[in-house]
Amino acid sequence: MADAHPQVKTTQDFAQQSPEYRTSIEKLVVSHAINELQGARVFDEPAVALAPHPYAKWLTCRVAMEEYGHHCKFFDLGRQIGIDEDRMLPEKTSKKPLNMFDFPLTTWEEFVAIKAFGDLAEILQVEDLLHCSFLPLRNLARSTMPEEKFHHDFGMQFGRELLKDPESKARFQAAVNRVFPVVPAFFGASRSKNNALFRELGIKLRTNEEMRADYVARAQAAAADLGLTLPELPPELLH
Amino acid sequence: MGQPMRDALGEAWFSTLGEPLGAGERADIAAYLQGLGLDASAAPRLATSWEEAGILLRGATGSWWESEEAERRRLEAAVHLDPADPDWIRLNDLLHGAAAVAAARCGNSDPGMTRVAAGAASYAAYHHELAVLAGCDEAHPFIRKYSLYAGGRWLLGVYDGRLAIF
Repeated sequence: MADAHPQVKTTQDFAQQSPEYRTSIEKLVVSHAINELQGARVFDEPAVALAPHPYAKWLTCRVAMEEYGHHCKFFDLGRQIGIDEDRMLPEKTSKKPLNMFDFPLTTWEEFVAIKAFGDLAEILQVEDLLHCSFLPLRNLARSTMPEEKFHHDFGMQFGRELLKDPESKARFQAAVNRVFPVVPAFFGASRSKNNALFRELGIKLRTNEEMRADYVARAQAAAADLGLTLPELPPELLH
Repeated sequence: MGQPMRDALGEAWFSTLGEPLGAGERADIAAYLQGLGLDASAAPRLATSWEEAGILLRGATGSWWESEEAERRRLEAAVHLDPADPDWIRLNDLLHGAAAVAAARCGNSDPGMTRVAAGAASYAAYHHELAVLAGCDEAHPFIRKYSLYAGGRWLLGVYDGRLAIF
């Protein structure tokens, strides 16, 4: 379906597109702008205080700045295509950030689990925009992807450190058990009308269900790589 | 963009890593430690490689980090900076670039350490901005710390009672 809609190469061309195309792109840009900012605020920035040593603290600080930077990129694109600034700021819009940002972060192990398994979900979401028909959004996704991968690697790297000690390994497994179940909802509702329109317009490639299933498979591979298990998910989280 | 942030764009970030310390830098280190209420009597430890810095950074830091955090919180009660400010993001990207150049110059290919260096400089620049906006004078420890970073250093922390610097 991605080739069905012609490429929209510039923000000027965007203004000439159909209302449904513009609205669809706006929804995605607003969602990314809000959620990148919320994630930096509630997970990455507070995690600096939880990190065990300066190496981890300053690396977390850099990751937080990259997340804030992603917000700025989506925010800037949003302004270029005429989105009101208030719609892209969690404190000024009625649109709620994703539920996963309600997770109460209290430990370093939880943060590592969020990077390893939460940011893996972010990779899949960005992957789905890598062939988006709106090229400024496609290119933004491509430019943030290396950092998204690094953030997942951060979780895997520090996860391996936690595995070296039986007590920290047990705390990490417990954190994964708490974090993982909140992630699948990140992919949105199954049989989503929004998603169907996104695919019809060449904005996204896959259904929410396909992405969620792929995510669970990749999360299981990541957990196996770490020697951890993932908790069983209730059926309502998978469909 | 505020003046401190504008000034930060032109500093010598990471340009003198591993070089011998000068008298002015030793004075900045002593004033920084004293300003945080820490013992300044021990001679600083000079790290001479990225590998050595990386090992030090994984060590226990005692009260040093918490002393900085307490001062940060005190300043944040008076002034606020938006970490999503586009100018601030631009400065952070510049810091990451400067760290990458310095690492490449020394043959260090660890992208993690490059980001750690960028994060440290970001924290130092943030502390400096807080201190300046709060009206602190030149003797403030965050301003003395920033002077070391601006001159191309990386202050690694206090380990076993000695300040380590790269």
